[in-house]
Amino acid sequence: MKKKSFIGHLAAWLNWQRFIFSVTLIFFLSGILFPFYWMVSSSFKSRAEIGGREPVYIPAEFRLDAYQELFDPDNESYQNFGQNIINTFMVALPTTLIAVILSTLGAYAIARLKFKGKEALLNSILMIYLFPGVLLIIPLFAMLAQAGDRMGFNVQDNLGVLIFTYLAQTLPVALYMLTNYFRTIPDEIEQAGLIDGCSRFEIIWRITLPLAIPALVSVSIYTFMIAWNEFLYALVFLNDHAMFTMPIKINTIFNDPSPRPHVVMAASTIMTIPIVTLFLAMERFLTEGLTAGGVKG
Amino acid sequence: MTTLIASFKKHYKSKQAQETRLAWMLISPTALIVFSIVIFPAVFSVWVSFHDVGLHNLNDVFHAPFVGWENYQKVFDDFAFKFQGMQSWGAAVTSIVYSFTSTALTLVVGLIAAILLNRPFKGRGLTRAIFLFPYVAPVVSIAFVWRWLLDPRPSGVLNDLLMRLNVIDLPMAFLSERGLALLLVIVFEAWRYFPFAMLMILARLQAIDSTLYEAAEVDGANTMQKFWNITIPELRYVLGAIFLLRLMWTFNKFDDIFLLTGGGFGTKVLPVLTYEFSFRLFDFGRGAATAMILLTILVVFVTFYVTLVMRNAEE
Repeated sequence: MKKKSFIGHLAAWLNWQRFIFSVTLIFFLSGILFPFYWMVSSSFKSRAEIGGREPVYIPAEFRLDAYQELFDPDNESYQNFGQNIINTFMVALPTTLIAVILSTLGAYAIARLKFKGKEALLNSILMIYLFPGVLLIIPLFAMLAQAGDRMGFNVQDNLGVLIFTYLAQTLPVALYMLTNYFRTIPDEIEQAGLIDGCSRFEIIWRITLPLAIPALVSVSIYTFMIAWNEFLYALVFLNDHAMFTMPIKINTIFNDPSPRPHVVMAASTIMTIPIVTLFLAMERFLTEGLTAGGVKG
Repeated sequence: MTTLIASFKKHYKSKQAQETRLAWMLISPTALIVFSIVIFPAVFSVWVSFHDVGLHNLNDVFHAPFVGWENYQKVFDDFAFKFQGMQSWGAAVTSIVYSFTSTALTLVVGLIAAILLNRPFKGRGLTRAIFLFPYVAPVVSIAFVWRWLLDPRPSGVLNDLLMRLNVIDLPMAFLSERGLALLLVIVFEAWRYFPFAMLMILARLQAIDSTLYEAAEVDGANTMQKFWNITIPELRYVLGAIFLLRLMWTFNKFDDIFLLTGGGFGTKVLPVLTYEFSFRLFDFGRGAATAMILLTILVVFVTFYVTLVMRNAEE
């Protein structure tokens, strides 16, 4: 058999369909990955590379100027970004925890137990899913200002208030996804437990929850993601730099009179990498959850 | 025997009552929170839109003076809202054009991506994961990367590329040009949200009965014919559903446009206008009225769509 050259192999492999397929795939991959590459690479550039006349596609060396500005207290324009990271966690973790616990209980009741007004309740919760965030923020702001006045807490710069408002955005999604999941667990398994004399709570704890772990994981990650990425409510409810979550802080650095894109990109990189990594690690669960629940975004 | 049945019935009934009690116990915390921070505020915002609510009386909001349709009148008369010819569309028309075009584009890009990933090749799993990046990454980071790529200085990547290719001679401020800015915001939406459409379409594609294609091949159909006569009809329902969901979410979307253009240069949509009335001018009544107009447009469209388009798709 005659040995074919590389070009020969290529020509044999390539036909029109494959050609179009490869070109489209490359187009998609570069279109998606380039902005991410640009974000990460820009964060390692020096000020000169950032402010030059031409874009620098590959930074000459890994410079940590931008990260120093974010984290090093000795830097002249120190941003104290560590505090913003902590704030984001302090909002995102409780939101996730509360939303998952409450929605698990609620979703179980809707999926398994019979009671009057069930469908009406589920529908009214789902309607919210389609409501604009800007519509709710005005009454929420007015109500919470009123409540804060009566009960003596600040509406602005209060992470607890922010968590409360995030529940409004995450609970309906979580409830919907978990209800769908519980409905796919065969009723017979629970019936068997009932016949064996387990109480409802034992059944939930010993049978249903272990079976629902994939769904619980994906719901937790989604609610965490929503709280981690949220922008509008944080923008309205936070004024004090020390209380800012990451998105608002990045917005502030971006709007600074002296533009420093490398710092913005460094902060964006820090905010993006954990969420993308989390997503990659849990991809299998998440894709299923995404198609089942149609997570709002 | 009868006593046994009676006691059994009684037992069963009490079991039923117990279940109901348990159900309400489980659901009440969620229901309470959802009611107090979602349903009540939603109803309350209708009330706010008919009252004069501002920073001055925020602490005494329930006694705000009733102003009737005045807030709505103000919104309709606002130059940022109303259509004044092709040069200045106003927020209502811009919102409609923006959400329809970007939803349609999202759907087309999502469909292409789904077809791409439906075919087996090495590294498909990883590619699918990468395709989801734009959707999971925080909007703040993504929007600022885009702004940095579209930077008006010659150091902006797009300016650099276009100048190297001799398409333009001088650097352009892409996001500060009427028309172009709206187009770029639409492209951004499609870039960011196509993965959602892709996943839903992909799930449906994989459920299509392969014997349909085999039969078509026996009949001598080519790829294009198979696509138009089998794939598209099979996808019709899911495409309709994604279109509706994405349209509603895009219509309500605030962050993307606010971060990309700040609502300037012909990209002011209703959510941004609502924000500006409420938190720049601190006229909450007018903001709420704008949000109600937004909601009304949406409800009218959804009703129309569900009764006409979706019903046909189901047949």
